[in-house]
Amino acid sequence: MSTLTDAERDDLRAAVRHLLDRASSSEAVRSLLDDPAGYDEELWRRLAELGWTGIHVPEAYGGGGAGYADVAVVLHELGRHLTAGPFLASAVLGTTALMACDNDELRADLLPSLVAGDRRATVAIANDRGSVDPRRLGVAWEHAGTGIRLRGTTAFVPDAAGADTGFVAARADDGTPALVAVDLTADGVTCEATPTIDPTRRLSRLTLDSVVDPASLLCAPGPSAVRAIERLAAVGAIAVACDAAGAAERMLELTAGYAKDRVQFGRPIGSFQAVKHHCADMAVAVEGSRAAVAVAAEALDGPEDATLAAAVTTSYAGPACSDVCAVAIQVHGGIGFTWEHDAHLYLKRAKLDEAWFGTPSWHRRRLADAVFPRVLAVVDR
Amino acid sequence: MLEELAALEPFRQEVRAWCRTHVPPDWRETQRGAGHDEFVAFGRWWAGQLRDAGWLAPHWPKEWGGGFTVAEQVVLAEELARGDAPRNGLYQVALYNAAPAIIHAGTDEQCRHWLPGILDGEVWCQGFSEPNAGSDLASLQTRAVRDGDHYVVTGQKVWTSVAMEADWCILLARSDPDAPKHKGITYLVVDMHAPGVEVRPLRQATGAAEFCETFLDGVVVSVEHRIGAENEGWTVAQTSLASERAVVILGLAELLRRNGVERVIADAGTWPLEDGQAAGDDPAVRETLAARYAEALVLRYLINDMIDGVIRGVDVGATSSVIKLMYSELLQGLMRDATDIQGLPAQLDRPLLPPAGWESGNWMLDYINSWSWTIAGGSNEIMRNIIGERMLGLPR
Repeated sequence: MSTLTDAERDDLRAAVRHLLDRASSSEAVRSLLDDPAGYDEELWRRLAELGWTGIHVPEAYGGGGAGYADVAVVLHELGRHLTAGPFLASAVLGTTALMACDNDELRADLLPSLVAGDRRATVAIANDRGSVDPRRLGVAWEHAGTGIRLRGTTAFVPDAAGADTGFVAARADDGTPALVAVDLTADGVTCEATPTIDPTRRLSRLTLDSVVDPASLLCAPGPSAVRAIERLAAVGAIAVACDAAGAAERMLELTAGYAKDRVQFGRPIGSFQAVKHHCADMAVAVEGSRAAVAVAAEALDGPEDATLAAAVTTSYAGPACSDVCAVAIQVHGGIGFTWEHDAHLYLKRAKLDEAWFGTPSWHRRRLADAVFPRVLAVVDR
Repeated sequence: MLEELAALEPFRQEVRAWCRTHVPPDWRETQRGAGHDEFVAFGRWWAGQLRDAGWLAPHWPKEWGGGFTVAEQVVLAEELARGDAPRNGLYQVALYNAAPAIIHAGTDEQCRHWLPGILDGEVWCQGFSEPNAGSDLASLQTRAVRDGDHYVVTGQKVWTSVAMEADWCILLARSDPDAPKHKGITYLVVDMHAPGVEVRPLRQATGAAEFCETFLDGVVVSVEHRIGAENEGWTVAQTSLASERAVVILGLAELLRRNGVERVIADAGTWPLEDGQAAGDDPAVRETLAARYAEALVLRYLINDMIDGVIRGVDVGATSSVIKLMYSELLQGLMRDATDIQGLPAQLDRPLLPPAGWESGNWMLDYINSWSWTIAGGSNEIMRNIIGERMLGLPR
């Protein structure tokens, strides 16, 4: 693997932005809000043709051989443009599940087709409460004859409708976790749409009562499965932070632009310090989030467990980005509170991003558990 | 920068080993509550240690005793923070304000005249702010009247930290009262022992009196003590390099992380809450401090980006305002958190620890002290104006 150079990454960002400025314009986004599928199939195919659905996947599987730090650029732009679609579910999380697993056969079979966009996957690791803690899974598994029986529900599953395969995290009676590939079109799998306040997202609840082949196990139940589930949770948390950073960046631009143009009391409102300082605080949050997200995305390409990087990023960027979108509505005033203006779409997207794959509060607790003992050892010098 | 830092591992180990043998392990105990003279003596002694190691002025040109690359300066700042080295507060103005102006806007003769003295322990103070010129610094009224080969300076300066000990003062004075306010200012070096200079200590909110007021009454300053051209003082005052400012804030951020965030986390483990539980075991406290820990890391990431930009020669202008805002608010927020978590015992009076700067471990007083960072060097409101106008293009 070799990640892109800064210049190549700038080119990638420009190319994605160029495409999405037209294909995922505000009008295009709005035309999909009430659409059941909720995304533009043609745009999805285009993303795959351009190779962006597998930037971070090894070339042997048809990918670009670069890293998560590079796919992060695409995620940022998708957030910036409020783009709907299965990129996160399939191109990022689906591929991650296969790259994190030990099942070479399954990987060889599925990964190239996910990269090519021919097949779509999703990842189901959250329980009904939204927790992605491997000890709190909502689906149970047990041996049933030669097969594996799955029973239970998993929620907040992204873009499951229309997906071929779901990578489902499940837990045995004794607590042993497993990660299983499930054919989402098979009998015994029910997919129920659970509309969210963010109308650019399509989440579902999956109810499972089915028996699958043991060859569907992505890795051996136990510690390997825990590692894979935690990897998915970390990638998910960092991916939605990238999305939120893109959304916040765009809201800052729109808001600063509005503050320059909107005249009240005979002056552009951006000349009032009450407004200017709101904008400055937004800029601080955007800059900080951009830096945090970049470091976290790079951590996904490194040898260390990225759980801590995900925790640091979510702790800071989660609330920072949603606050940017919130203040943006305030600065826009009445127009910002209308359905017609995009500000509410950005706030809704950023709030879902903030809570998804672990709330900032949960990530902070994990950070405290992991880091404080180490800090105590260092301070006692 | 990462590759450069990796290549500097031997230097890092050298500084780390040096700290183990040179930083007095008990300085926090011996210096707590130290009197003014003792603080000054300790500051001079510590600066001498750094000078003897060759690390007092790493950002200066090599011929004057520096010549360190930015990456080397980063390693030095990181390791001094890690090794719990005392701060160099007494020499901050000399090393980071006066010297850059002299080096970048002064003459070779001026460098020869003043730089060796700084390394030998001469203390400098900064005479910029005035009672009626704070955030609006360019409205300063101290007059410098040209009379042949010298200026006669009259006026009043405030917040001239360490002026009581200072040998020299970098001073902004109005030399052309008819010019637009930024255009009529001259940058002078004033001998603090000259006739007509009077310093009065000014007690700040913490109770310490490191601040001063400085009165100038007909003080004669040779034109040879002018840095840059007459009436160009405003520009001279901005001459410190972006890299110098970046390394300074990096050092501050490292100290805040190690001596602030990490020490509060350690202290919280020893503080019983009112119900008897250790504060460090309380979920709400843990969340709060974990959030601060994350913020301190994010601040560091931003500084790393700025330093990368500096090395590549990118303009990082408004970014430094973003970083100053984030740093000062993290400092103030952390001190407030620490005070709140500790509860009533935080209110018990304990002496300050001056060489520890803003993280003395006396969290309530550190909280009070934190306003020096949200106000000094351009208040946070001014920083927000700069970000709004220069970064976002908002109208004035």
